[in-house]
Amino acid sequence: MTQNQKTPKNSQLTDKTTLIFLILIVTTYIVFLTLPIISVFLKFDLTQINTHLQNTTITDAIKLSLYTAIASTGISIILAVPTGYFLATRNFYGKIVIDSLMDLPLVLPPAVAGIALLYTFAPKGLLGPLFNSLNLTIPGYTIAVIIAQTFVASPFLIRAAKTGFEKQDKTLYNSAKILTDSRIKIFFTISLPLAMRVIISGTVMTWARAMGEFGATLMFAGNLPGITQTMPLSIYTMLYSDPTAGLMLSIILISISFAVIFTVKMLEHKRYGAIT
Amino acid sequence: MIKIEYLSKSFNKKNVINNLNFDVEKNEIVALLGPNGSGKTTLLNIIAGLQYPDSGNIYLNNTMVNGTNKTKKIYVKPFKRQIGYVFQTVSLFPHMKIQDNIAYGLKSLHLSNAEIKKRTNTLIEFVDLTRYAQNYPHQLSGGQQQRAALARSLVTEPQILLLDEPVSAVDPQLKETFRMELKKYLQNLEITTLYVTHNINEAFMMADKIAVMGNGHIEQIGDRNEIFDKTRSTFVAKFLGLNIFEGKAIKEQDNLLLVEINELQLLTTLNPSLAGKNVTITIKPEDIKLSTEKPSNIKYNIIPGVLTEIIQTRSITQITIDIGFPIKAIIAFSEIKQLNITVGDRIYTYFNPSILNVFS
Repeated sequence: MTQNQKTPKNSQLTDKTTLIFLILIVTTYIVFLTLPIISVFLKFDLTQINTHLQNTTITDAIKLSLYTAIASTGISIILAVPTGYFLATRNFYGKIVIDSLMDLPLVLPPAVAGIALLYTFAPKGLLGPLFNSLNLTIPGYTIAVIIAQTFVASPFLIRAAKTGFEKQDKTLYNSAKILTDSRIKIFFTISLPLAMRVIISGTVMTWARAMGEFGATLMFAGNLPGITQTMPLSIYTMLYSDPTAGLMLSIILISISFAVIFTVKMLEHKRYGAIT
Repeated sequence: MIKIEYLSKSFNKKNVINNLNFDVEKNEIVALLGPNGSGKTTLLNIIAGLQYPDSGNIYLNNTMVNGTNKTKKIYVKPFKRQIGYVFQTVSLFPHMKIQDNIAYGLKSLHLSNAEIKKRTNTLIEFVDLTRYAQNYPHQLSGGQQQRAALARSLVTEPQILLLDEPVSAVDPQLKETFRMELKKYLQNLEITTLYVTHNINEAFMMADKIAVMGNGHIEQIGDRNEIFDKTRSTFVAKFLGLNIFEGKAIKEQDNLLLVEINELQLLTTLNPSLAGKNVTITIKPEDIKLSTEKPSNIKYNIIPGVLTEIIQTRSITQITIDIGFPIKAIIAFSEIKQLNITVGDRIYTYFNPSILNVFS
């Protein structure tokens, strides 16, 4: 009887202690994650915005980042969505190897990605002779920025597309196969619309990753204002020469990143009742 | 019509379909009945062209759709087989309205918009879903969704209809109503139908003919009453829940056949070819009659026993009687009240010689 009376009291106490302990950990962690972001905003003088926007180095970096990220995301959509579909719907020998290779850029240090791209596309790289014969140089040009961004960011979209196609009920595909002869029609009317939400959130993530790309771009494309100097590279360059301009670019990137994550979370929450 | 010859299919070296032969006549409704995992869905998928058989021939309306013709391997795509298929899971396209789901198949037939609309509306009316045409599938009940799936499968005017456990996705309390509706639709359709189910009552209700599938092939096919009354396989008898006894056919007596089960002698309809053979005897639990007094007007097959078990459901009662070995009987709930019997009571079991089914 005494034991019975004690147990709830004890467990209540343990519950409370656990909760306090947990809240402490979570709070510390949230502060650790958000403090650097807050400090950037606190440091920045809002009245300086106009002055910075007169600076062509800054506006060029913003424009270049937007253009290249849109281009690399576009290329990613064309390449990664069909690849994701293929990987989700086909079984073949060595699939797991291909699958792992597709994920590699996600975990590769950007500097390694930069080196790898140089050894492939630079005049003395693997494909160098091909580009030399066509009179094309890649490193040092905007195209190199787009290649670097596509290399690093597109696997996000492969992953998303693959998940989107994989989780579809196979019966829906079979129903469609009985009702139509065209696989392309099935892809565009059934498979793609059902995977659309996941693909859109993957596209947004890919674009955000492309916007934030730094290491591979710096090593492979270089740091030439107006040509290869994207926002992250510009921040790095201005760290000592014009720190407030760097702060403003950082604020732009932080805001974009937050908006992206928020959009993706909203998309993930809003689903068709019947699909989930 | 559907004609299947020597069909085999295995997964991971396990034979799911093993040398199966099977016919469905034109406009016939056949229920394919069998336990879960007996290969029924695989068979439907192969007929539909969604899976490839390892070997065997399939003909739909006299056209070979799977098999080998001379040396040429034949495979006709699902779309070209002119079939309608209602899947076990609700397979409506979740991002399309009911109307668009039903019209989906017509959009591949190069019809005019007016024709598509006309045919879609006819089918929507046929399955009583006019009110829901503009709704999305998740806004409908399980039964309504399956009705829409039926309409979608019929819109291309198929020659053959395949239904795979169409009732299973329906809410339990609505299953019976949905069965009634489905029966009505199937009766009005006049289309060759293969109806897969593991539910014995459902098979009996929906079909004229029942094919029992087990061990990768058709164990028995026949008129729905024949399957129960003239069972020809132990597998089928077990699956249908019949009383099964191993015994011996002794001799002809009183123009009947005398059979012996564990020293108990019973008389059944004469079948001279069985005399002297070891036989299997099946008795439908519903055909067994009970009496607390020895029935005076009955001549044959009166066996005294002891009631050992009573299992009641809302409508029927299953009882077990020990007559030297256990025998099951199914009687109406009202009858058990009338007889006023309980476990441990002595009771007479009797049955007509004609209800004993004997095969060797």
